[in-house]
Amino acid sequence: MNKEYLMGNEAMGRGAVEAGVKVVTGYPGTPSSEIPDYVSSCEDIRVEWCINEKVALEIALGASLCRTRSMAVMKHNGTNVALDFLMHLNYTGVRGGLVLISADDPGANSSQNEEDSRIITHVDAHLPVFDPWCPQEAKDMVKMAFELSEKTELCFVVRPVMRVCHAHNQVTLEEIAAGNATPYFEDDRSRFIMSAVREPQAGGVLRPVLRHKWLNGKRVELSQIMEDSPFNHVEGGEGNIGLIACGIGYAYVREAEEILDKKFPVLKLGTLPLPKDKVLNFAGRMDKLVIYEDSEAVVEGLIKQLLHDERIEVEVIGRSGFLPMEGELSTEAVLASLAALCPDLEKSLPKSVPLDIDIPIRTRTQCVGCPYRGLLHALKLTARKSHGIVTGDIGCYDAGSFLPLELQSTIYCMGSSIPIANGIAYSGSGQPVFSIIGDSTFFHNGVLGLISAVHNAVDMVVVICDNRTTAMTGFQPHPGSDTSISGRPVVAIDIASLASSIGATSVQVVNPYHIPEVTESLDKAAAEKGVSVIVVSSPCYLLGRRTGDIGFTPRQVSIDADLCNGCKVCIDYFGCPAIRFSNDKASIDQATCVGCGMCVDVCKRGAIA
Amino acid sequence: MNLNILIAGVGGQGNLFASSILANYFIKSGYHVGAVETIGAAQRGGSVVSHLRVSDSDIYSPLIPAGKVDLLMGFETLEMLRHFRMLGADGVYLLNDFKEPTVLCNMELDAYPSDEVIAAALGESGKKGYTIKATACARQIGDSLLTNVVMLGALCRLSALLNGEGVKQVLGSRSPPKARELNLKAFDAGGSLVLEAVRQ
Repeated sequence: MNKEYLMGNEAMGRGAVEAGVKVVTGYPGTPSSEIPDYVSSCEDIRVEWCINEKVALEIALGASLCRTRSMAVMKHNGTNVALDFLMHLNYTGVRGGLVLISADDPGANSSQNEEDSRIITHVDAHLPVFDPWCPQEAKDMVKMAFELSEKTELCFVVRPVMRVCHAHNQVTLEEIAAGNATPYFEDDRSRFIMSAVREPQAGGVLRPVLRHKWLNGKRVELSQIMEDSPFNHVEGGEGNIGLIACGIGYAYVREAEEILDKKFPVLKLGTLPLPKDKVLNFAGRMDKLVIYEDSEAVVEGLIKQLLHDERIEVEVIGRSGFLPMEGELSTEAVLASLAALCPDLEKSLPKSVPLDIDIPIRTRTQCVGCPYRGLLHALKLTARKSHGIVTGDIGCYDAGSFLPLELQSTIYCMGSSIPIANGIAYSGSGQPVFSIIGDSTFFHNGVLGLISAVHNAVDMVVVICDNRTTAMTGFQPHPGSDTSISGRPVVAIDIASLASSIGATSVQVVNPYHIPEVTESLDKAAAEKGVSVIVVSSPCYLLGRRTGDIGFTPRQVSIDADLCNGCKVCIDYFGCPAIRFSNDKASIDQATCVGCGMCVDVCKRGAIA
Repeated sequence: MNLNILIAGVGGQGNLFASSILANYFIKSGYHVGAVETIGAAQRGGSVVSHLRVSDSDIYSPLIPAGKVDLLMGFETLEMLRHFRMLGADGVYLLNDFKEPTVLCNMELDAYPSDEVIAAALGESGKKGYTIKATACARQIGDSLLTNVVMLGALCRLSALLNGEGVKQVLGSRSPPKARELNLKAFDAGGSLVLEAVRQ
């Protein structure tokens, strides 16, 4: 069989392609972004980055209704955005296989929270969930999810964690299925019109109650499928402590066993619902069960419930307190837990000795040459001068909230900067309020907040950072781009025109590399009534450097040591990594500087030229 | 056979390219290979770490457990020091003497450890390792972006499991045509650099 070295995300994309997927939608978000990227290189598959995850899932369902296999891809925060639709799609079921990939980021390596999306997709929406432990299994699961989705008429969820999405392994490739026969739509209003209407055929029961019953009835069918699933198995071992290894937990448990050179009884689980009989048979032979899962105690809770219902008394411990309740699971955490249970294993633990030295942390910052640094600097000075409050959003520019600038006062989730600013304006504090949001984030969920604020004539400034791409997640196109993921020409939505048509008091478009221009626009906007919009427009430098489209003409910039008085404004209120400070003088590291020249405007003494 | 390589650096230093060359070399040599990178934001300047695991049997965790790294390659001084605790008892480090100050160091809120402090701490650790000026060498060849390839060339001299010619061949075949010649030159230069360090 042909093997290829693939990233977990590529493997999942490949699994969908092999299953004959025809429509793939999503919104970029680490750790899931490379899945649509991979599929976009394949022919005859419609792949799209959508405006947000709810729209992505809705498009996927539309295709599924016509018996076309479809897949929606998102990260856990995005699944929250899609949740409203998901809580209806679970009642209606699907026609063509529909797979939702909801990628989690335990440890919040690249996220605002470390949510476990098994809870909303399985515990809340009652949908079946596959939780892979490695790229090969992730591929196999995606493939099987399509088949089972069609068989059960349910949307199947695959929930990989970051260490599966980003892991690389040799993965076995199989043949690509041709896909379903000719797509066609067939009405079934009793399913696809989700409304509180009485069903005459069911004695006048309300349709949502009837569909809820249908969904609950699926539990029996799913239970048998999971009992026979290749993704759950038992491994023999010594002793009466049973390890239940879920998803990535299996990788860490096997790793720990190899290090300790000891085999425990292991129940490897990859599915929700649980394989009830397998769990009960395994549990019945043990004195204690330790559940390893990322990141909430989901399987632990379900197993406790199952054992309670079956009147089986076994101690069950896991992430509800025995293992750390926060952060990412790891081999180290498994090793420590096993040593706590079996103290004689302590001597077999690997020794890890840190250097006896203070190691400064490295925080993220804007790239050297990033157009947003000029904006963040100008906004910081304007906000300081006016005692203004700045609300922030998700994207590269969030680094403006860290040292040195400490500009944004709030950052929550996609699009929340504008409504939060709106609320601050309503509070009566009397302070001017600015929200700062990126282009992709603005389309995703920010535009609704803008419409609401304009409609209500709120006095606030909305700064939209348009660098023509979804830079944070790896340069995916968004509705403001003129080319789709697969290179298809598409209609670019102009942000300034959109803001004008909504009815903003004023819409200014400024170049962030010209700091005085940005400052002037902020002052003008802050003095206006109603919602003033500033579109800060210049291509992402990192992307532009590749494509030859950057927002400045590079030039040599240096600091005159005689003119520099060491005031550190260029460090503390600008913070370009190319500017260094030693012996009370600033200087420019020429190897790091890209010659954007923004810092020239930052120095009021004219020392930078 | 089991070999765990950890590459620590900052964004923009070509950490992932170096890891992929080694991965493809080991795949070609018939081994099981597993890798994972900490890639979050696509931006430059943040910490980037690649874990590469090679084995003649199944690989489980994509991340190398602490205390199990055989070869620790630091493209940036602070980032290597940060991951030094990952080194195993017989682990070897290869450090590029190149310092990218942090934001907080620039603000003088943190102090980047001095050469003396670093040398003392590395000495006290009792670990075997070498320090080379790979970025300086890369600049001399023509571009600081060649740092990763200089380091690769050097690393191949430090493990019997890495055949320099074999890795070089993979490097040549996976380099973009216009970068190929300089990459191969940088690879050889790295080999010579580390041999000098070993002699000293």
